[in-house]
Amino acid sequence: MVAEISKLTKEIKHRGPDLITRPVGRRMYAKIRDKMKNISAHEVLLLDFEGIRVIDSSFIDELIVRLIIDSWKSDPIFYVKLKNISIIAEINIDSVFKSFSQYNKNEIAVITDGIRQNNSFYIGALSKVEREVIEYLRINRNTSVHDIGVFIGMNDEEVSFLSDTLFRRRLLRIYNDHISSV
Amino acid sequence: MTDKKTVLLPNKFRDPYTFEDVINLADTIVRDADCLDLSRISFIEPYSMLSFLLLGKMYLLKRGIKLKLIRIPLAIHQYLSRMDFFKTEIFETADSLNEKMMLKRSSVSKTIIEIVEIPNKERESVKVITGVIELFRKRASFILKHWFSDNLVDYFVTVISELCQNIFEHSLESGYLSMQTYSLNNEKIFRLVISDSGIGIVKSFELNKEIQFDSPAKLIEMALTTPISSKREYGYGLCQVNSIIERLNGMIYIRSDNASLSTLYNKTRSGSYIFYKNSLSPFSGTQISISLTA
Repeated sequence: MVAEISKLTKEIKHRGPDLITRPVGRRMYAKIRDKMKNISAHEVLLLDFEGIRVIDSSFIDELIVRLIIDSWKSDPIFYVKLKNISIIAEINIDSVFKSFSQYNKNEIAVITDGIRQNNSFYIGALSKVEREVIEYLRINRNTSVHDIGVFIGMNDEEVSFLSDTLFRRRLLRIYNDHISSV
Repeated sequence: MTDKKTVLLPNKFRDPYTFEDVINLADTIVRDADCLDLSRISFIEPYSMLSFLLLGKMYLLKRGIKLKLIRIPLAIHQYLSRMDFFKTEIFETADSLNEKMMLKRSSVSKTIIEIVEIPNKERESVKVITGVIELFRKRASFILKHWFSDNLVDYFVTVISELCQNIFEHSLESGYLSMQTYSLNNEKIFRLVISDSGIGIVKSFELNKEIQFDSPAKLIEMALTTPISSKREYGYGLCQVNSIIERLNGMIYIRSDNASLSTLYNKTRSGSYIFYKNSLSPFSGTQISISLTA
């Protein structure tokens, strides 16, 4: 499911290329949740920010962080992915995620459609090995625990634990015993 | 005092540091003065202008009447009119400026954002902040023409947004924003100022017992460098502003009640670049100045 943020910005009667403040974030969240009524299990919610320049920390907290938290506990399971993020938006998202992780003792990250400043396809804090799994999945979209283990030099048990952790954070998909990228 | 009820203001409106001399007179002005004599003033920059406005607001609230400004030099009168200082209707002036003497609002004078009141109510504030950012985007190529950095305008949109939201989130009072690029002593200075006369940083953290601090200036530093919040579990705003200004080698000056913090990222090579001041004269609220120099 694709949410074109620029279009939705008009629908919530906000103007300009900048999405700022908590009230605007809350309105956008309500709009997207409304559109998600019929989302299927294991579907990706792609937030496309084409045409948007700045999203500030308040907006990020009210929209992106809330959607990611929803995805962790929601039934059906869904995944959040970001597209067309400007550099300043990326810096702001990264900063919000750092604060969130520091205070909630719960790491948060999100998969992106394009390559980011960390030379990978996510924003947030991931360990070296978690990053390797995400990058492996980026190329080999559908794979098994064993194949990932061969690539990163871990046994099946260790890879299962690692992939479960990444799945709980909705950074990869586990569906019918297959592991795939978001 | 030039007479019983007129206070002669010193020519100390050049920057946040010299303006302390005017703040030192604030108590006397609010308690005793009927008029302020501005004849000595030769220059005003945005931080001093907004702090002066807050002083007038305090006077109006305490005395119930407007403070009168007299003997305003022509250049100062023109500048204050151009910045919409008198539109706030906080002061009374003895003389009005002739229409012909007003500075023109042409494309060449787009290096400023005139004084904007930021309400302390969330809904109204969002509209005003959105409007300020639209205006800033229109004028940014004039305002920031001496500085070159990728995404500079986007950085400042973030800074404006974060600082303005602090007003309605924490200060419990409305505030003001203004911005200008100007020349002083062969230096180009860009200054963004956001000031309020609200409860200030120390009071806003009073109920949060988990936050421990040695002095008010240290608390300002904590608010600037760590994601603490007086209202939520954690906050991002000031921290985000700090990391952007560090990236741009700029300066941040924050004054709240009787303390101040200066962070001069353009001086990091010369050793000390963070300066704390406690026990300043009390002045309500929080006043923030962000500067770049070229």
